[in-house]
Amino acid sequence: MASLINRTRDVLSRWRRRFRDDLKASTDASFLTMPRFFGLLYGPIDRSLPIDQALRKALAYRLPAHVGWRHALGGVAYLLFMVMVVTGVLLSLHYRPSSEEAYGSIQHIVTGVTFGWLVRDVHVWSATLIVIVVLAHMARVFFDGAYKPPRETSWLIGLMLLFVVLAFGATGYLLPWDQWAYWTVTEVLNTIAVLPLLGGVIVTALTGDAFVSGATLSRFFALHVIILPWIAFALLIFHFRMIRTQGVAPPRGKAKSETEGHSFFPHHLLRSFLVSVVVLAIVISLATLFPRPLAAPASPVEPPGELVSTWVVVDVSLALIRFFGPWGFALFTLLGLSMAFIPLFDRHPERRHRPVTAVGVVFFVGFAILWLVGHQLRFAGPDVGAPTATEIAEPAQSGLP
Amino acid sequence: MKLGWIAVAVATVAVFGESPGALSITVQDAQSQVAAADSVYGCVLCHADKRRAFIEGIHSERGIGCHDCHGGDPASLEAVTAHSGTYIGTPDKLATVELCGSCHSDPDRMRQYGLQVGQVAEFRTSRHGQLLLGERNTDAPTCTNCHDAHTILTPDNARSNVHPTNIPGTCAGCHQDESLMAKYGLSTDQFELYRASAHGVGLFERQNFAAPSCVGCHGSHAAMPPQVSEIANVCGQCHVLVRRAFDAGPHGAADRAGNLPGCTACHSNHETERVPPDTIAETCVECHDAESRAAQLGVEAEELIVAAQNDLQAADEAIEELVVAGWQVGDLQFRYQTALTDYLQIAEFQHSLDVEQLEDLGRRVGSISRDIRATAEVSAEQRWEHKLLLVPVWFLTLSAIVLGWFKLRSLKE
Repeated sequence: MASLINRTRDVLSRWRRRFRDDLKASTDASFLTMPRFFGLLYGPIDRSLPIDQALRKALAYRLPAHVGWRHALGGVAYLLFMVMVVTGVLLSLHYRPSSEEAYGSIQHIVTGVTFGWLVRDVHVWSATLIVIVVLAHMARVFFDGAYKPPRETSWLIGLMLLFVVLAFGATGYLLPWDQWAYWTVTEVLNTIAVLPLLGGVIVTALTGDAFVSGATLSRFFALHVIILPWIAFALLIFHFRMIRTQGVAPPRGKAKSETEGHSFFPHHLLRSFLVSVVVLAIVISLATLFPRPLAAPASPVEPPGELVSTWVVVDVSLALIRFFGPWGFALFTLLGLSMAFIPLFDRHPERRHRPVTAVGVVFFVGFAILWLVGHQLRFAGPDVGAPTATEIAEPAQSGLP
Repeated sequence: MKLGWIAVAVATVAVFGESPGALSITVQDAQSQVAAADSVYGCVLCHADKRRAFIEGIHSERGIGCHDCHGGDPASLEAVTAHSGTYIGTPDKLATVELCGSCHSDPDRMRQYGLQVGQVAEFRTSRHGQLLLGERNTDAPTCTNCHDAHTILTPDNARSNVHPTNIPGTCAGCHQDESLMAKYGLSTDQFELYRASAHGVGLFERQNFAAPSCVGCHGSHAAMPPQVSEIANVCGQCHVLVRRAFDAGPHGAADRAGNLPGCTACHSNHETERVPPDTIAETCVECHDAESRAAQLGVEAEELIVAAQNDLQAADEAIEELVVAGWQVGDLQFRYQTALTDYLQIAEFQHSLDVEQLEDLGRRVGSISRDIRATAEVSAEQRWEHKLLLVPVWFLTLSAIVLGWFKLRSLKE
């Protein structure tokens, strides 16, 4: 009995001592001050999982001196991604992924849900901005030569993330189920279908029907909210892990960063905060001033008079399809995919490889030009081959054969 | 004789080798029956091209053979004996009418197919029939000029010369022939005018088979230009309400008195010209004195109709605006349809020149249009209110930028 009492007293005194230590530690300025002060559980958790230590290490992490504002692009892309995750989850509370209800649910979100219009338009505008920011980030990495060994895996993962972002946008574009969404997706899928080898297979797998229908909407929705998010998070973790392990790339032409700059906290965190605030304000402003218009509900039998593009990649895709045909679309996609092989050809840290630079310039400048051209055009509706009265042939001579 | 049988077999294979594959099962069945009969059918030995054309038509499907029209002995494999007895060769235009009529005017034969038997009688009354049967003028067409001699297809077959979309082309085959038409003082621009007309656009572009082709106004077998006094009746067959309004107004009375060429006075004939609302007054003064009461009536009608048209357009734009803003517009679209019906009634009742009735309908269109536009204004106000959100957003953003900037500077120092 006495031993039991002694043992209990020991346990209680040990717990009291640890709690007092935790309270003492809580007076130290740190992000975890509040949970440490109030949490009886936090102490034991932190002792087994050294969260506090890891956080301090992360905040104290010193970035090279050449890291500046232009390195914020990757962080902005991540911020926009998280904005889309949050707004996407909020939209999914009201959106109904069926051909009968999708359009009506969008109308409900925009007009019937409190701040639904803002959530939707922030989601839509983030989808455009994230493509621009990711490409700008990619261009920065490309022209800094940051893709060179040992960071080629990071470059490859980044490129995969770009295609995931594009896939997110492409699958999300159909979800409003209005005429513009329906017929734009139809035109792009028709373009892919004529490409040899994989074209037909990809389109059949994506469409799930003889034409874009409710089955397609279900597939696009599943890709958009279930499959792609898992892939995106996995790639993001991998991408961040690579950056943390290998560090930020040295300045162009140098094998190693020469000087150590400021610590992540407070210098870089403050900069990130400022950039994030500005980006969020821009997104909200665009969403408020230029809401995504809605066309009539999708009709598979009545093409619209014109296709209004509401996403930067649709501008680029339709410009490619209308001016260069399916092969122009395919070749530009292949050009983008070929960027994955750039680290194989350009390996020396201190030398520029001119053909590689040319590929990058064609891709980035080409994308910008196609976007600007596509954005200026009012795309005519899809051509369904109906003749006009003036195209009817002159009367044929009677008398067969 | 043995060589003859081989030739029949070769001819059959050759002909079938070229026959189109996309035929209905019924036609294929008929073809196989004919093919079976070919082995003892001598005509195909020499006339394989005619057989190929014939087998695609309805007569072949009904089991009719060459000898049913041309006579002769189809069992014979020699030209001389085949072309003997009842053989009549290629009938001329007059004989063709008689030949076709021998079956198509026989109620006992046609009853089973649900076909009318009045074609020959109708043809006799037509201008074509008057020329051919009355004056023995072979410029006029006979049955085979429109229906083809061998490939006789039913009107519901898109390849038929008498399918609705092919009829204008069939008529134009002769009526665009300048040298032929010059003999009769006829113009040759009907097809071009028709193709650009409301009727032509309806038929060719919209594939609206309710839109009349040539035969809709002129008749088919009884083809004849309508008399001036008949024009309103011809147009009134389809434009029933317009015709009723026209009859009730002063123009109807003038038409009945023979002082007005019916609908064509304002709309012309083959080009079926629309009179846009803003040109009504202009059209009136083509016949009426500009200072007359009639011309004043035209001005009043134009103002009313243009106002209703503008109201309707404004309502349409308002709905479009609401759709783009994501509003549910089912009820408004229903009300718009009501206004559209009223507007279409204006288009009909304007032919009566009853201004009071037009005013009443115009008021209804205006009332609905105002309601729809009011809803669009509410939506526009909401969108404007949304923009107010930017004030706190940018106040906080700019504050954060200023504070952050100072903090960054202090950190650098």
